[in-house]
Amino acid sequence: MIEAHGLTKKYGDKVAVNDISFTVNPGRVTGFLGPNGAGKSTTMRMIVGLDRPTHGSVTVNGKPYVQHRAPLREVGALLEAKAVHSGRSATNHLRGLAATHGIAKARVHEVIDMTGLAAVAGKRVGGFSLGMGQRLGIAAAMLGDPRTLILDEPVNGLDPEGVKWVRTMVRYLADEGRTVFLSSHLMSEMAITADELIVIGRGRIITTGAVQDVIDAVTKSSVRVRSPQAEDLVARLQGADVTVTSLEPSLLKVDGLSAEQIGEAAAAGGFVLHELTPMRASLEEAYMTLTADDVEYHSHGAGEETAPAVVAETEGANR
Amino acid sequence: MTATTATAPVTPTEANGYHLNFARILRSEWIKFTSLRSTVWVAVVTVGVMVGFSFLMGFGMTQIAQGGGGMEEAGFGGTGTVIGTSVASFGYYFGQIVVAVLGVLIVTGEYSTGQIKSTLTAVPTRLPVLAAKGAIVAITSFVLGAVGVAIAVLVTTPMLSTYDLQVDLSDSASLQSLLGVPLYMTAIALFAFAIGTLMRHAAAGIATVLGMLLLLPILGSIQIQWIQDIAPYLPGAAGERIIIGEQLGAVLTPWQGFGVLMIWVVAALAAAAVLLRRRDA
Repeated sequence: MIEAHGLTKKYGDKVAVNDISFTVNPGRVTGFLGPNGAGKSTTMRMIVGLDRPTHGSVTVNGKPYVQHRAPLREVGALLEAKAVHSGRSATNHLRGLAATHGIAKARVHEVIDMTGLAAVAGKRVGGFSLGMGQRLGIAAAMLGDPRTLILDEPVNGLDPEGVKWVRTMVRYLADEGRTVFLSSHLMSEMAITADELIVIGRGRIITTGAVQDVIDAVTKSSVRVRSPQAEDLVARLQGADVTVTSLEPSLLKVDGLSAEQIGEAAAAGGFVLHELTPMRASLEEAYMTLTADDVEYHSHGAGEETAPAVVAETEGANR
Repeated sequence: MTATTATAPVTPTEANGYHLNFARILRSEWIKFTSLRSTVWVAVVTVGVMVGFSFLMGFGMTQIAQGGGGMEEAGFGGTGTVIGTSVASFGYYFGQIVVAVLGVLIVTGEYSTGQIKSTLTAVPTRLPVLAAKGAIVAITSFVLGAVGVAIAVLVTTPMLSTYDLQVDLSDSASLQSLLGVPLYMTAIALFAFAIGTLMRHAAAGIATVLGMLLLLPILGSIQIQWIQDIAPYLPGAAGERIIIGEQLGAVLTPWQGFGVLMIWVVAALAAAAVLLRRRDA
């Protein structure tokens, strides 16, 4: 269990993490979602005492991390791929870490086998690919058989098989009753992997809750309606919470009504419908909606990137 | 590679005795130290340069002696054992450079590679890591210095004994000088280790330490009073007193000089400890 209270980190004038409070519960996979630069890594570093909070506090399993007698048994952390001396072999890196806690050599070989590193365990880490570095980081995190796992972007650089392996592993670990806290900047990844979400943008928590609730809260469903009498149909569909957007002369996008309601309204008015399609905003759209105002680094010019702003405006118009 | 074989059941923390203690952290640092190729190189190079330069120095002495010129005329006063000791201990000047680099790299190597994050996550109280690394730097430097000077004595004695210039091990002043070599190298390596911890950057750390050891003494030749006043208290100049031995006109006695160097070492380590605790990793 991880509990943060008013956690704040400033680097000079720049506020990386701004007064955030949250709880990560055992038995669940909790996703920490946010764009690059949102403060995810900084928060995770503060949890394991690598960075000192400017204000606030964070505890792991009831105590600040630094006060645990066996920190590696409490928390396994993957904070960045290749937090390893490049001149050392994977085995020796893990042996060195294990020795601090008196963890047996057998466990070192266990985590090497488990992460699929057996073939390269004797090789110097400097020659590892990003994916192998990531596996070594996960091996190091698992070394102490910890009650809590903190994984910063664990699937970065992994091949599809590796991604699937991480998903299966974190699910298994959470089902065992462990606390699993993993970050990502990909909503789609979180939707598959996580039970709970903490969404962060520009150092502030934007929303928290079960994954589906977070998604539902921001994804307004809409209906595409194609009709040769579109202009007349619009009048029929007016209502308090209804927004009708004309996409093309004979194509409407309707927010606030179900496909059934629209169909019945059309039938009642004797309108011909050529298409009636319920649509759901994609996860990525939902995520962009959430973080549209909180992205640290905007890119301009790419068509994709302008879409969320439009979504946000439409939403604003709805209210 | 399936997750189901991944982990043992969650067991209470203390049940299997897994926890931190200093002996384990020391062992961890020893594993890390010995599992880098550069460690072997440092050992070989330290002993090699110490013995090599002593040998050259010894050879030079035999040339002077052979040429018939008296040692006094050549500027080398004193009895035979004084010559033999200065020859055998001559390598410290070069050995100190290698152990200083070792002292800097043992910590800055962790910062440049990111290893430090793994290290400090495993030992979040941090100071035991500093103590363990310091112990390894100290022991290694002492052993290398002792081995280097011992081999230097063995290698140079045969050629020097021809001219009765060999080390007399029953002479206490000679023994103090020879013992001074590993002591001095240990202190310098610890000083470098502290500077490396403060700077966290290999190039900056090495430049600072070697600058203080090799360049600052040159300032001592500037005839400005305040520079003349502080020059004997610089780490290198002060520490060398233990190797050079009693000297007419020296400001510090051998042990006072070594004491001054140790003050530098302790002050630098204290600053390193404070900043290691306080700074973000």
